[in-house]
Amino acid sequence: MTRNSPDPQPLLEMENVSVDFPVKGPYPFSKKCWIQAVTDVSLEVSEGETFGIVGESGCGKTTLANAMIGMVRPTAGTVRFQGVDLYALNPKAFKEARREMQMIFQDPFSSLNPRFSVYEIIREPLYIRGQASETVMKGKVLELLKLVGLDEEDMYRYPSDFSGGQRQRIGIARSIILNPRFLVCDEPVSALDVSVHAQILNLLMDIQKSRHLTYVFVSHNLAVVKNICQNMVVMYLGMIMESGSSDAIFANPLHPYTKALLSAVLDIDVTKPRDRILLKGDTPSPIDPPAGCRFWQRCPSAMKGCRTVPAKLVEVEPDHQVACHLISGFSAQQVADSLHEPVSPKSGG
Amino acid sequence: MADTVLEVRNLKVAFPCPGGVIRAVEGIDLDIHRGECAALVGESGCGKSVSALAIMKLLNTPPAVCRVDKLWLDDLDLTHLPDRQMERIRGKHMAMIFQDAMTALNPVMTVGKQIDEIYLRHSRLSRREARQRTIEALELVEVPEARSRANSYPHQLSGGMRQRVLIALAFACVPKLIIADEPTTALDVTIQAQVLDVLKNMQRVHRVSALLITHDLSVVANMADTVYVMYAGKIVERAAMQEIFLEPLHPYTHGLLASVPRISDERQPFVQIPDAVPHPMRKPTGCYFHPRCPRSNDPCRQRMPRLEGPDDGRAVRCWHPLRQPHEVRS
Repeated sequence: MTRNSPDPQPLLEMENVSVDFPVKGPYPFSKKCWIQAVTDVSLEVSEGETFGIVGESGCGKTTLANAMIGMVRPTAGTVRFQGVDLYALNPKAFKEARREMQMIFQDPFSSLNPRFSVYEIIREPLYIRGQASETVMKGKVLELLKLVGLDEEDMYRYPSDFSGGQRQRIGIARSIILNPRFLVCDEPVSALDVSVHAQILNLLMDIQKSRHLTYVFVSHNLAVVKNICQNMVVMYLGMIMESGSSDAIFANPLHPYTKALLSAVLDIDVTKPRDRILLKGDTPSPIDPPAGCRFWQRCPSAMKGCRTVPAKLVEVEPDHQVACHLISGFSAQQVADSLHEPVSPKSGG
Repeated sequence: MADTVLEVRNLKVAFPCPGGVIRAVEGIDLDIHRGECAALVGESGCGKSVSALAIMKLLNTPPAVCRVDKLWLDDLDLTHLPDRQMERIRGKHMAMIFQDAMTALNPVMTVGKQIDEIYLRHSRLSRREARQRTIEALELVEVPEARSRANSYPHQLSGGMRQRVLIALAFACVPKLIIADEPTTALDVTIQAQVLDVLKNMQRVHRVSALLITHDLSVVANMADTVYVMYAGKIVERAAMQEIFLEPLHPYTHGLLASVPRISDERQPFVQIPDAVPHPMRKPTGCYFHPRCPRSNDPCRQRMPRLEGPDDGRAVRCWHPLRQPHEVRS
């Protein structure tokens, strides 16, 4: 689905964002290492859409989501929310901007304070803001409880009284109490039972419609992403492999990783067996990511140049970009360079 | 009739707690034939893992209370077998693959040594022979450079590799039955596909029966021959794998299948089952599923239906199944 009216200014814009985390070296006194969690990511999220981030664990999707809402400061690049550079703001203005963006966490068991009643949990953001009286807060909490499908009596119960699905509803109520415009859902259903997935996803979609929210939806479940997201990125080892409208990507996946990911998704359709692409090996460590294309070691169609030349995102059709040499090919200069460059035996895998 | 490797009759497990008794498993029957992979499917808390542990006799009693009328593994009667003798059965005749390989493996022992132990314990082999067998076992589950990997500690291996080590451990003595408890839940999709492939191959090659415990219907569709659907401690439906996906009979199975998002779906609201699984201490009267069931009426609220159907085929525990089991028998 293409956007109805292309917004001149996206709600959120990331430009060449990288996030590195320092880690201890393998031995005492050895040099500090850096985990390159996110490398050179640029993307735009426009108002009112659901934007999917897909990838396996350790690919940097949660870090990227955290960098979007100011929870992790990027080592390089800029994040602009409503046109303002988030990390250039002074602390007060930053706090103000942060109110517009909230998060729903993956694990409803650890993200709710077990010693707070439901009322205290949901009103907490309002309480911290300190501008509402007790009666106003109570009214607001009640309204939200109804919205997420809980009862008035639940207000003074504690998280331990609730099932996973109900806890996630409490988390959702808490995240929307300040009327944010932008909501990051970090794997909101993966910790829940299968039979309640649909309830929570439908609830999120209803809230989005009634409150005109913009979602960033982090998930490893491709079927869910296909169903709810308009635009998406596929990440591998901290970099975007493929991005664009989800319709385009699912109709015509071009990156070998996207293809493998799609074919690895087990379907419950027993009538038509499919050919699966089985990737060999494991995701390499983000401490010392492979030079060249990040995916070449596991890529079924890797070429010689893939080892040394990093792949850049190129537009293949409107709303569809791919970072793969199979698509973009090598420039004459790159071919010449890769011929001269000796491939070290270590990176030869 | 094909010969039965595992026969369980009326298995019950309960946990006495302050404030009541949790009846985790309420009388389940299982039959697994030679070389067959049966799947026990259900949501968390439905008693599927407890059933597996009870079959392995790995539950601590107390606190758990286990009762079983009949528990046969091939020609061995395990019904009243004491712990001492169970130790000789576990690992040799039946083995288990646990969900979380990081906690299932000993962190201060190399993985090779952990597999050696099985050979040393269950067959008369020297250390050198045992290590040779270990390396072969690791090669069978497609661990690259098995010889050197045998000397690594669990934390030095990736999640997929650790799960392979667990599979190698379970298949070490080529047991009669493998119980795999959520073998791929902790893994990524691409790794999950690899590990399932290995597991399926091993099971086929050695003609080992397997009991697969999972909540993931897509894993079932790719692995199982027979499916048992569990809900709140009871089996609600039993069928061959194809049948359950093509024509579920129990409203719960039906709802579960409909609520799984598929890649082939068009964009639309997800089909949902209302409410949540009942608390194990506060199960409703009558059929346990009736508060969530679109087809429930008075009898459902009062009496628990029986698991009905032909002995060795489809069976469903419902007053109003989508169709009667004998009708769909082809």
